[in-house]
Amino acid sequence: MTFFHFGNCVALAYVPYVIVYKCSGLAEYSAFWKCVQAGGAYLFTQLCKMLLLATFFPTTDAAVGSLDITGEFLKSTVDVIDLIGLHIVMSKFAGKGQLKFMIAGMGWATAELAVTRFIPLWMGARGVEFDWKYIQMSFDSNISLIHHISVAMLVWLYSRSDLQRTSLPIVLTLLGLACYRPLIVEILMQAVGLGSWMLLLAKAGFTSVVALISLQMYLSIPSQGTNSYY
Amino acid sequence: MWFDELGEVFDMFKGSFPLSFLFFIPIFIIISPVSPVNAAQEFAVYRMQQYDLQGSTFGCKNAIINMEARSIDSKMLTRRCAVAKLQDVTMPKYRDLMTQNAGALLVILPNNLTSLLPEEKQHLQSLEYELMQEQSTVPVYFALESEYLTDIYVDVQEGNSGDNAPTAWEALLSSASANGFQLVISGSQAEAMPDFEIANIQGRLSGYGIEEQLPTIVVVAHYDAKGVAPALSFGADSNASGMVMLLELARLFSKLYTNSRTHAKNPFKILEYNLVFLLSGGGKFNYQGSKRWIEDNFEAAEGNILNDVAFVLCLDSLGSSNNLNLHVSKPPREDGAGGQFFKHLGDVKESHFPEVKVGMVHKKINLGDEMLAWEHERFSIKRMLAFTLSHLDTHKSFDRSSITDQRKAVNPSVIARNTQLVAEALARQIYNLTSQGSFQMFTDTLSVEDSVVEAWLNYLAGNPRAAQVLKSDSEVVMTLEQAMGQYLKDVRKTLLKADKRDPEFIFYTGAEYQMNAYNVKPAVFDLFLALCIAGYLALTYLFAQKFHVIYYALKRSVISTSPKTKVN
Repeated sequence: MTFFHFGNCVALAYVPYVIVYKCSGLAEYSAFWKCVQAGGAYLFTQLCKMLLLATFFPTTDAAVGSLDITGEFLKSTVDVIDLIGLHIVMSKFAGKGQLKFMIAGMGWATAELAVTRFIPLWMGARGVEFDWKYIQMSFDSNISLIHHISVAMLVWLYSRSDLQRTSLPIVLTLLGLACYRPLIVEILMQAVGLGSWMLLLAKAGFTSVVALISLQMYLSIPSQGTNSYY
Repeated sequence: MWFDELGEVFDMFKGSFPLSFLFFIPIFIIISPVSPVNAAQEFAVYRMQQYDLQGSTFGCKNAIINMEARSIDSKMLTRRCAVAKLQDVTMPKYRDLMTQNAGALLVILPNNLTSLLPEEKQHLQSLEYELMQEQSTVPVYFALESEYLTDIYVDVQEGNSGDNAPTAWEALLSSASANGFQLVISGSQAEAMPDFEIANIQGRLSGYGIEEQLPTIVVVAHYDAKGVAPALSFGADSNASGMVMLLELARLFSKLYTNSRTHAKNPFKILEYNLVFLLSGGGKFNYQGSKRWIEDNFEAAEGNILNDVAFVLCLDSLGSSNNLNLHVSKPPREDGAGGQFFKHLGDVKESHFPEVKVGMVHKKINLGDEMLAWEHERFSIKRMLAFTLSHLDTHKSFDRSSITDQRKAVNPSVIARNTQLVAEALARQIYNLTSQGSFQMFTDTLSVEDSVVEAWLNYLAGNPRAAQVLKSDSEVVMTLEQAMGQYLKDVRKTLLKADKRDPEFIFYTGAEYQMNAYNVKPAVFDLFLALCIAGYLALTYLFAQKFHVIYYALKRSVISTSPKTKVN
């Protein structure tokens, strides 16, 4: 397709990030460098994950198209390091209370977007062949923004001492779900045979439910009730 | 501070050209709009013939295309590639394409060309004939039908409806939703092959006696085939059948000529004739191979094969039907070798193969014609007694140069029967058995082997054998030379090249290409998509702006349900 198509895809992928950054109050707190630091932490975490995967997880010779559940499960387990990384970011870099998870989530998601999405878009969306997958990829990056922010929120909630005891299992469950999301997606694709658009819709629904639940739990923490940044 | 440093950096580039070169080239490479070709769908396409013959140019000139696919019925075809099924292509439409300056034509052929209905076959053959009559600048490609190609065809047909939509808005909508295809053939442009060598393969069997004083019978078959697309020319009937017969005759007579036991069968113990077998190349290009062969052998001072020729028997199209026609330029005298051979043919047919109809067709050589009708005319011009044996009634039959002439159009048992018939007639001629009644020479160990005939036929008709693709060192030619060497003596492969200054024939490369089809959308679609994305982004913006509404609504619900916060 044309350069125009590439522009479309980039706009679809990146502009929501800018909107969220501007509207969530991060811009007013000049949290840009904090976000960049969080992005750096993301890169470092990915490096650690890769080292770990390359060292301890042997490559499986599963046939293309078939699903290697145990292998995928182990790989997703390594994603726990992401959560630890997020936690470190929030405890070391990001400063003020409720901005913490916004900065961490935002920086994390932006770094992921820049590293994993830009090159495929550059190589693919400008090619001669038209394919919906680049538009879908851009939508997917919007979904992963919400996903990362809500994961950061959950990690933050988990580290709070004034979280209601009854909410702790829910937080853990949601964190687990978020961690094993790629595996769940894979299984869905194999078992139900969802088309790419339906899969995108399912992801969006799943992510927004997680986000809503975590937002509700966040709001139920007593100290957050009054001083909102909105 | 920052700007100072930047200035220094720029100074560095100003100072040294190689450094800036090294620095900027990768950036240019990354920014450059050429993206790596990620092949969407690749399929083989067969280009139409392109050749120069006797000063005139035939076929299509260009090869490389990169253009949008359109239906052949759409109004605007300039610089576009028309995609059509075989039944859609007619000569008026083709001429229309030429006048519109269309980019290319891709014809989707049915997978099985031998199972066409008679009228379809006739349509294809006359189309082939017409296409090859003249030169064209529009590249014409043929592809065999596949699921993917059918999809492209259907999509392209639907895209055509946009042109005929009643209102502009509908046209816009249909063009935004249409599935377009960009057809790309990359590779090298078709080039002339000035050093192309055509091979003639000859071999001989010498009779008993003083060799030079014995008359010679020459058996000739040309080995190339011709169809509208060289890579699709399998030529099973013309002329794999003739070659198979020639090879089988060579095998049988080599046994007769070398095996002393066969003399017991021969009541006269004489072999009055030398036999020469020739597989000639370039037969579909006005019999270039046999032409050069005759010239060379006339010029040769010693060991002149053509010194005393009894007759020349050319074999062409012998693979189907119960007819056998002896095409002659001049009716042979009854008592001459030719007349005798024809009589023998008739006798053998009478006694052993009553279902066959043997006839003689007389057609004078028209020296005004650019193309000779049959191969024997090359010999007849040089005043040799020559005739062609064929099941066809006339040289004008399209069957002899068509891509429909494939393996399944030919019956190996018919070839075997015809071989038997010709072998018997030749044997009667050679042993001078005028009144032997129903005597049959080729029986038992000497009989025609059906399996051999079928194996040869499968091999020869399984390879495209257009003259362009049969280089003198190609596998088929080598195999033929080997086979001749097995049975015959003095087997020689002579090569002929076209004259440098005034070439009689020029062939071109590029018979088969890989075509890539890319799924593309029209520019209107991009605009449409941009509008949708803008709408989506506006919604996102509104959502982010009004997020506090959701936020407070949630908070209120949380506070009302949570007793702890109420206390707080």
